[in-house]
Amino acid sequence: MDWSLIIENSIKGLVGINAVYFAVAAIGMNVQYGYTGLLNFGQAGFMACGAYGLGMTAHYFDISMWWGIPLGIVFSVLLGLLMGIPTLRLRADYLAIVTIAAAEIIRLVVRSVRFKTYFGGSDGINNFSEPFRKVGTDLGIQQSAEYGFRPLEFTGRELWTLVVGWIVVAVFGFLVYKLMKSPWGRVLKAIREDEDAVRSLGKSVYSYKMQSLILGGVIGTFSGMIFALDRGSVQPDNYSRDVTFYVLTALVLGGVAKVTGSIVGPMLFWGLFTFVDNFMRQVAEDPIKVGNFTLLQSTQVGQLNYMLIGLALILLMVFRPQGLVGNRKEMAFDGR
Amino acid sequence: MFGGQAVNGASPLLRRVGRRSLVGLLVVLLGSLVLPALASADGEGDDLAIRAIVKDQQRDANGKADNQPVEGVEFVVSDESGVEVARATTDAKGVALLPLPGRAVYTVQLLEDSLPDGLSLGDSTSASVAVDANEFVTSTKALNFFTGASQSAEQTFGERLAQRIMDGIRLGLVLAMCAVGLSLIFGTTGLTNFAHGEIVTFGGLATFVFNITGLTFLGFLSFLPGVTEQGTFHILWAAPIGVVLGGLFGWALNAGIFSRLRRRGIGLVTQMVLTVGLSILLRNFFLSRFGGRTRPYREYTLQQAIEIGPVSITPRDLVVSLLSLVILVSVALGLRYTRLGKATRAVSDNADLASATGIDSERVIRLVWILGGALAAIGGVFRGLDEQASFDMGSRLLFLMFAGITLGGLGSAFGALVGSFVVGIMVEVASLVVPTELKATPALLVLILVLLFRPQGILGKAQRVG
Repeated sequence: MDWSLIIENSIKGLVGINAVYFAVAAIGMNVQYGYTGLLNFGQAGFMACGAYGLGMTAHYFDISMWWGIPLGIVFSVLLGLLMGIPTLRLRADYLAIVTIAAAEIIRLVVRSVRFKTYFGGSDGINNFSEPFRKVGTDLGIQQSAEYGFRPLEFTGRELWTLVVGWIVVAVFGFLVYKLMKSPWGRVLKAIREDEDAVRSLGKSVYSYKMQSLILGGVIGTFSGMIFALDRGSVQPDNYSRDVTFYVLTALVLGGVAKVTGSIVGPMLFWGLFTFVDNFMRQVAEDPIKVGNFTLLQSTQVGQLNYMLIGLALILLMVFRPQGLVGNRKEMAFDGR
Repeated sequence: MFGGQAVNGASPLLRRVGRRSLVGLLVVLLGSLVLPALASADGEGDDLAIRAIVKDQQRDANGKADNQPVEGVEFVVSDESGVEVARATTDAKGVALLPLPGRAVYTVQLLEDSLPDGLSLGDSTSASVAVDANEFVTSTKALNFFTGASQSAEQTFGERLAQRIMDGIRLGLVLAMCAVGLSLIFGTTGLTNFAHGEIVTFGGLATFVFNITGLTFLGFLSFLPGVTEQGTFHILWAAPIGVVLGGLFGWALNAGIFSRLRRRGIGLVTQMVLTVGLSILLRNFFLSRFGGRTRPYREYTLQQAIEIGPVSITPRDLVVSLLSLVILVSVALGLRYTRLGKATRAVSDNADLASATGIDSERVIRLVWILGGALAAIGGVFRGLDEQASFDMGSRLLFLMFAGITLGGLGSAFGALVGSFVVGIMVEVASLVVPTELKATPALLVLILVLLFRPQGILGKAQRVG
């Protein structure tokens, strides 16, 4: 058992790019779920908006990559309207159903052969992130050089994405923190606690919910962009509904209705995930057997990890639905 | 969905391995847990190749499209500068394997002189195809070449429509079966169960375990007809066992988790998120034990379709459909006329009032979970017979079930039957217009339109749902 490798990888998991893009997505989901009580199960769809906004600049429009940022935002606002208009006047579960469906349809459309000209089909889109890399090089970060110190060693390529990513996390974290302290944010929280009371104060609940859904979605869009820039590619299957669920798990792990929770959660999620993954891989190098029955072999470690995520989400919801740093009183709403 | 799952979860360790070997690793990971031999073969699959397939377009005796492989067709692959890099001839299966030296752009040329006498390439097939190996997702890419005239175009629009409606009715029946439980559980407890698809899968896979895998300790039952010494059961045994287990599974979920949560007064949103966790847990459990492939049951796999007017249907599908219809009608009649059915509808309507009239609502909810689990399991078995069993056979239906019960009216059992039926037909008919890969899209459209204009659904009561 190589403990130093496991620990090193786990520490890198804490701050690595996966934690970054999950954190951005979770900050967005927190606006919706934590502060407003909206169940958006289609965050992956918003992430796809950002990624495909970037990708399509090279693949279809043939314009500068930087136009992809406003393009992605426009896509996600449209998606938010599509999801919100039919559902936000209704009970919470309708939104959940429509968001999960819309995100799945987006994935089917972008991977379809019919729309390959626009979205690149199931192969996705590559070769669009050069302008982003170039800014890093211009700032003096050598793409292939090694930076940092053990265990936090990164290539210049990784470092540049990480720096930009954490800046985005900080910006949105600060923005959401300030917004939730503002009168606007207090209305959102009031909607979560008692919609009718807010309505009786003359506020348009529908409009506030829509703003919350779209704001969270646009933040999620940036998460998709970071992920796409890091990979240098956009793959439709990276935006399946499970991504939404893992982000949700990471958010609940950290703490709901707290900005710190939505940042700490994804870090812990990936730190723990990497730890368990590395640990189990070493354990399962030789298949574990009970009699003739193979309990665990190395090829099953991946699924075991995802099973543990599911189990973690179940246990969290039963015993600590507010997450590590959340306030239980803020998660008492029941959406009816 | 396969790739998606693992790629998002790729740990830093995996990411360093690089994308190409990552793909290989993923194939191993997700591919075949039960068949280690196959797993190792996939692991070495880093050799790039093109599988060129030549088929002659023909029709069988029943007039259905039946393409036959063409043997002895020669292929040449050349790189961008025109240098030949591979050459192969199709085998008896009409397949020629053309290994590629690396990731680059190639031209695949079918030598038309090598086609057997009397055959020529179809109108829509070109003899020369450009291939970019950089864009391969897996290590091999299949290229199809067709000879002869396309046979599929000979059906008239009316015939195709009739066939689609027939397929739609089959899908609708299965959907309705799966969705009744979802709707009843929602009606009686208010819970939207995102793990309901996994109950469907559970039924399908439990049946598979008894039908194919076999449980050796049940070998002593081999004196019964259809049971072997290895403990495998004929599908007519395995299916009812799977359904009973599905009912038990529903009971266990309620008794083990949801009744406790209700007693502790845990909010519905919290419970809903919990079902998401349950869905992740169960689906990955199925994946780890069953593998990522789809696999058929042992019996009734290959059947000659019978023609009824313009549509063709296999006897298996006909029996399954009629059986579904009988089951669904009995469920509907049961809900309408039996004491329990009336009690269920009373609890759906207003749990407090129902309790006040002396109905034990917890007992009703328990029975609803059992019935819903069993019906979902039947849906899983029927789906497995129709489309083979796989680890995500149920979760892929979940969204259609939601569309169905929303259309019919959330919480109304009759609505779930009607709505699912309509959604099933619509999805299949839509594939006449939209590409098959996008045939689920109209269901989303219905969902949105229903919520916009009639949120209570076709059969729901007009009430404030906001």
